[in-house]
Amino acid sequence: MDFRHSIHIKPLVRVLLVLALLALAGCGGSSSPSQRTPLTVVVNAPFSRSPYLGRTIENGVRLAEREVNANGIRLGNTTYELRIRTMDTALSPARAVANMRRAVGGHAVAVVDEGTGIDASRRIAAASGIPIGIVFQGGGGLVDPVTRPNVFRIAPTDHGLAFRLAEYLIPKGLKIGLLHDDSDYGAAGGRALAAAFSRNRSSVAIDETLPADALDLAPQVLRARRAGATALLVWGRPSTIASAVTAARSAGWNVPFFTPPTGNDPFVRQQLADHPAWVDGLTFAGGRLTAEVGSGPFLTFEQKYESAFGVDRVGVKKSAGASVVVLPETAMYAYDFVNLLAAAVLKAGSTDPRKITAALNEVSIEGANGDQRGFNHNNHEGVIDDDVYFARFHDMTSAPVKDDRLSATLPTLPQTR
Amino acid sequence: MKRIALIWLAAFTWTAVAAAAPPGPFVALPSPVAPLSASPPLGGGATATSEIVRHRVDARTRVDVAIDASGTPFRIVATQRLDVRVKGDYFFTIGAPLRAVEAAPGSDSTPGLRSTAITWAGFNPRRRTLVARVTLDPAVAAGSLPLRVEVAPGRVTLVNATALTAASYSADVVAPPLRAYFAELRRATDRDVIPSSGGARVTTRTSPTRVRVAAPLHVAGVVGGRRVDTILDERLMVRGAGPVRLTVTPARPARLLDAPVAGLAGRALLDRVSRTVLTLARVRQYGSFLGNQDPVGRSATTYVYRTAARPAPPPAAAANESARSWTSTLAVAAGLLLALAAGAVVWSRS
Repeated sequence: MDFRHSIHIKPLVRVLLVLALLALAGCGGSSSPSQRTPLTVVVNAPFSRSPYLGRTIENGVRLAEREVNANGIRLGNTTYELRIRTMDTALSPARAVANMRRAVGGHAVAVVDEGTGIDASRRIAAASGIPIGIVFQGGGGLVDPVTRPNVFRIAPTDHGLAFRLAEYLIPKGLKIGLLHDDSDYGAAGGRALAAAFSRNRSSVAIDETLPADALDLAPQVLRARRAGATALLVWGRPSTIASAVTAARSAGWNVPFFTPPTGNDPFVRQQLADHPAWVDGLTFAGGRLTAEVGSGPFLTFEQKYESAFGVDRVGVKKSAGASVVVLPETAMYAYDFVNLLAAAVLKAGSTDPRKITAALNEVSIEGANGDQRGFNHNNHEGVIDDDVYFARFHDMTSAPVKDDRLSATLPTLPQTR
Repeated sequence: MKRIALIWLAAFTWTAVAAAAPPGPFVALPSPVAPLSASPPLGGGATATSEIVRHRVDARTRVDVAIDASGTPFRIVATQRLDVRVKGDYFFTIGAPLRAVEAAPGSDSTPGLRSTAITWAGFNPRRRTLVARVTLDPAVAAGSLPLRVEVAPGRVTLVNATALTAASYSADVVAPPLRAYFAELRRATDRDVIPSSGGARVTTRTSPTRVRVAAPLHVAGVVGGRRVDTILDERLMVRGAGPVRLTVTPARPARLLDAPVAGLAGRALLDRVSRTVLTLARVRQYGSFLGNQDPVGRSATTYVYRTAARPAPPPAAAANESARSWTSTLAVAAGLLLALAAGAVVWSRS
């Protein structure tokens, strides 16, 4: 027996056995993440200029990505998984357009978008049939199933917010000062308010445009007061709302404030943190966060969100000392859009963006808040106008109002940790 | 004498016990609400995705049917009005072979369009009226219309197209409870409430039967200038020619409901009740052409037939005169090459 020979053979056999086992392992299931085909979803959001907004949109998309990828999307013999790519718009339409070109060049199957620059960027996406899901801006002209068939939205529309605000405020007999800033967001809101109050101009004391970057809005607020306003409806960026509240309260004018969802932005409370009483009574309109089944589905979503990304703190405290947190509303819309996208890929049976866009008109899912979420050929809005509710701040947290039919049915969600 | 009295007593007791004992098994009658065919309602009918609230919905539908000179439907437009009650969210899906849908005047909301369904979603603060105008695919929907119009030279025949053969059974029955159920059926129909399902206590073995059932149709209007106002069970021939304008509504089956059942017993009684129940089910089907998401809600459908001119087909695309076949393209290319070669030869010798 050649002893040396046997010693040299054994390691070789071991190596061959290990290689064979590795090969066998590779022949197993076809859905291991390394073998999946990626489907790129681009998040086009203002990460540098509005970090909270950008991050919350990205987090919502990433949460849905994790859940979709747990099993992957299986079409025929191929399993696909979502891959997220973020691009910063810096609130610049030009950058948003450049990002869209990169998304098309990178063969993205969809773009989740904050809404900046959509008027131009949607054409670039449309040429490749790529669907865009807007999850923040509610401007009236952004979504149109006929002229913009690849643009969808899950966010309260300016039209819905404005008409619901009019429906809520006009019967109160208030003389309303309509103030909107000159940002894109404020201008779109101003147009929506003009339409909503067009048949009840007697309810409007004054209609003013505010400079979006002004630190002091005292002259404009004073003008509204002199015009006889008994309520102010301020539509603008969070900084505009905070400035308007500061101007009124520092002048000793205890006028009630009403706002679109930006009134609920953490920035407003941060700016007014030195005068918590100034925030009390501020009422904002927003998309309802809970469904008829109760707060269970939304709280489950919030729990998953916080487990994955941590708690988003406002940076203010209640009078008793509890820290106030932000409810992940925009993240919920981004999360729902990605889940609808996954459903549409399955419905289309294809990763062709054109087929996915067509299939988005045909699918519904149960959204993160327990409501049905979906689009159709006539309507690309995922938040219906009926779902706009009103909440009022007290001691830095908000609760649905009781003098509106829908809002009165909604529970108050915990906002402290 | 005493013995005779005992025999009489025994006989009386046996008769009383026999009368009190269940005389046979209880067998369910056909349902007065279950559809007898897949359509109508079209496209599987209407469903409500409910969270907690169950809305009460009454549905009224008008179906406008445009027919051509031969009586063939070529355009079908349904206008459905839903009266929704009970506060809360709603998400309704109404299946139909759709081409288009839009909100009709009076609607509190706008319907959604899917390739095979209308969708309604929103919050009902207390009461909502949802009105949709739906253009249907006539190739699919025409088969579910209740009336067929057959035009021939000099005559128009109106055919009740609701007839079909349904499964039932025959047996001898205990008459009084079945007569009571029949009376209850008649009361429910007269009050326009949904009748409950019933059953019969049979005294013999049941044997399967086939029953021909049709929803009687109230047909009123004009056919070729002649007025028509009739209950159509099978068919009606109208002499003459000309445009048709008819309103058709599924009618209460008076012939079955109003004829007395006091004299009927056994199989004849069971046959009458079964036939009535099946006919009511058929009437209910044609009364809910687009369905109703509320299983206990009221539904009514009126069909309006009108002769109209078929829209002219779009003009055929003009042939592109400049288009060449591949042979002519090859010939041109070859010619160019030859000219090039000849030019080269001339140039080389110059």
